Amino acid sequence: MSFMPKIKIDGKEYIAKENETILQCAQRNGIYIPRYCYHPSLSIAGNCRMCLVEIEKMPKLQTACSTIVAEGMNVFTSSEKVKKARKDVLEFLLKNHPIDCPICDQAGECYLQDYYMDYGLRKSRVSLNEKVRRGKRRQLGDYLILDNERCILCTRCVRFCEEVTKTSELFVANRGDHSFIDIKPETSLNNPYSLNIADICPVGAFTSADFRFRQRVWFLKTTESICLGCATGCRIKVQHNDNTVYRILPLPNEETNTWLCDFGRMTYKEMYSEDRLNHITIESQEFGLDLDKVFDYIKEVKPQEIAVFLSPNLSIEDNIALYYFASNVLKTENIFIPSLPERKIEDGILKNSDPYPNSTGIEIIANKLKLKKDEKTSEKFALVISSLEIAKTYARDSKGIFFSLTKSDMNGAIVPMKSYFENEGTFVNWQKYARKTTVSVVNEKAFSVFDVMKRLAVLFGSNSFFSSLKDIEKFISSNGIDKEFK
Amino acid sequence: MIKVKNIKIRELNIWERIYIPEIIRGLGVTLRHLFSNLLNPSSIPTISYPEEKVLLPGHAKERSRHRIKLRKDGTPKCVACMLCATICPAKCIHIEAGETENFVEKYPKKFDIDLSRCVMCGLCVEACPEDAIIMDTEEIPGGAKDRNASYGKDGLYATKEQLFEKKREISTFGAANRLANEFLLSKERGNRND
Repeated sequence: MSFMPKIKIDGKEYIAKENETILQCAQRNGIYIPRYCYHPSLSIAGNCRMCLVEIEKMPKLQTACSTIVAEGMNVFTSSEKVKKARKDVLEFLLKNHPIDCPICDQAGECYLQDYYMDYGLRKSRVSLNEKVRRGKRRQLGDYLILDNERCILCTRCVRFCEEVTKTSELFVANRGDHSFIDIKPETSLNNPYSLNIADICPVGAFTSADFRFRQRVWFLKTTESICLGCATGCRIKVQHNDNTVYRILPLPNEETNTWLCDFGRMTYKEMYSEDRLNHITIESQEFGLDLDKVFDYIKEVKPQEIAVFLSPNLSIEDNIALYYFASNVLKTENIFIPSLPERKIEDGILKNSDPYPNSTGIEIIANKLKLKKDEKTSEKFALVISSLEIAKTYARDSKGIFFSLTKSDMNGAIVPMKSYFENEGTFVNWQKYARKTTVSVVNEKAFSVFDVMKRLAVLFGSNSFFSSLKDIEKFISSNGIDKEFK
Repeated sequence: MIKVKNIKIRELNIWERIYIPEIIRGLGVTLRHLFSNLLNPSSIPTISYPEEKVLLPGHAKERSRHRIKLRKDGTPKCVACMLCATICPAKCIHIEAGETENFVEKYPKKFDIDLSRCVMCGLCVEACPEDAIIMDTEEIPGGAKDRNASYGKDGLYATKEQLFEKKREISTFGAANRLANEFLLSKERGNRND
């Protein structure tokens, strides 16, 4: 049993963990201490001085982020002395701040604004013309824009590049009040996790070039979902307004991710690409959104000659719908899962070697429902039903029904599919955590795979197909598939 | 330190100190006005509002036409911060932000006000941190006094170009405008350093 010091914060007694800092202990117990430089996933710098707290018997105020708790400590986080210190620290930080909030993308989620309203509220004693000027916008890398004027030198970005990506592109140049964040010569800030810097920057110094001026943050609504960029399956916050997704942020959690890679953040762009499919295409002819045309296209084929490939791009529910359609409506035995790549974290942070989000999920389905793993790719079928990415490797030449987000020159019926920002579904990541996507935006010009299968089942004259997603859930639990999930 | 200034008050003379003659003189003024108003009522300056109204020239009382002020170089003062669109209770302001070359970085690519929805509350003017949007006296099309108004969308939908004010001025208010001024100044001097 490790040593558990008892400390008092604002008159209340708490049991702290060993080697915990005051800030962490307070945070765990619901007391918020303002901070700029402290970040739970980075090392402790203690340079912003915003988290100063009063500790009994200590002559000076101490930084809560770097002071380790000790037995019998008596901490005051909101005494008059602390309040005054915060006010003064804030005045220093804002001394040369350009106050260009109207043109700053951070406005609305800026720590300077928040703490000014909470602790500052002091009129600036430095007039706008006397402020020290530094460089305004400067593009560093593909995704980031640096504004040195707004920077408060908390060095979160420097520490991120040193400790998380280990690329060390950024450093603090010069000394004293001349210091500013700079990039090392002849490098560019293009590491695959660069946009996290825009997230962790507490002020508007680093902002995202992709999100730049597109929307004010107070208009954005947030839904929690998961990233489908690879098999890691990070939890994300999708921020959207007026039926448009504007950006994706990580939703830090202990199981999978604290950060989010740039590739994952850009996955929403596929929805808004010019190639986005919004009508059914059969043999290069456009057919609007009439699923009967798809039925006309496949009704002549003998059901035994149709093969269904479960797809690691589709959710568990959609894969079950595909399986059930093949086994109960078509009554074919040609249900396969494609051979799937190995799953492991490639770079030690997040990026998985498997680009598909649901490989583990369909492996579980295949085990439980005893499906064949297809090694004989040369075997020909008259018609293949699957997602387009799988069809590209397994059914390059055959006819088929392919579900796709974007246009393609493939031979067959290509059905516009709802992306998983527009549709809900369960995905199982490489650690076997089953997580659900949520509907962030609505799209009327595409189908979910389940919708298509349901309609085709009706047209085939079958009445035993699932009537709703609830039936699929029942099917999943009755076959014991969800027992494998974490 | 508060400065103290001594003021000498003139002493009253004997005639004033007797008091009664001054009261009679005051009553005399009142009576003079009474009789002049009685004999010549048209000279009374007071009007009995609201029964009587004096019309001001033009639409001087109205503040219903939105304007966006321009800087000296003709660019709009607006920096598309969306505060007016945020506070607007009628949700009638639609702004799209874009990026410019000059110091200000941000400008409204699109700035539309749907006047058929506007409730003329003036909150957009209050909210503007750059003093860019104002409301002035020009009659809006379809207003009460505009008898020949067409109620079409074009008349009531003020686009960026229609909102721009003709007058150009040096702007001092707001941080972004300060940046703009520095930019203009450096351009005048010919040493642009961004």
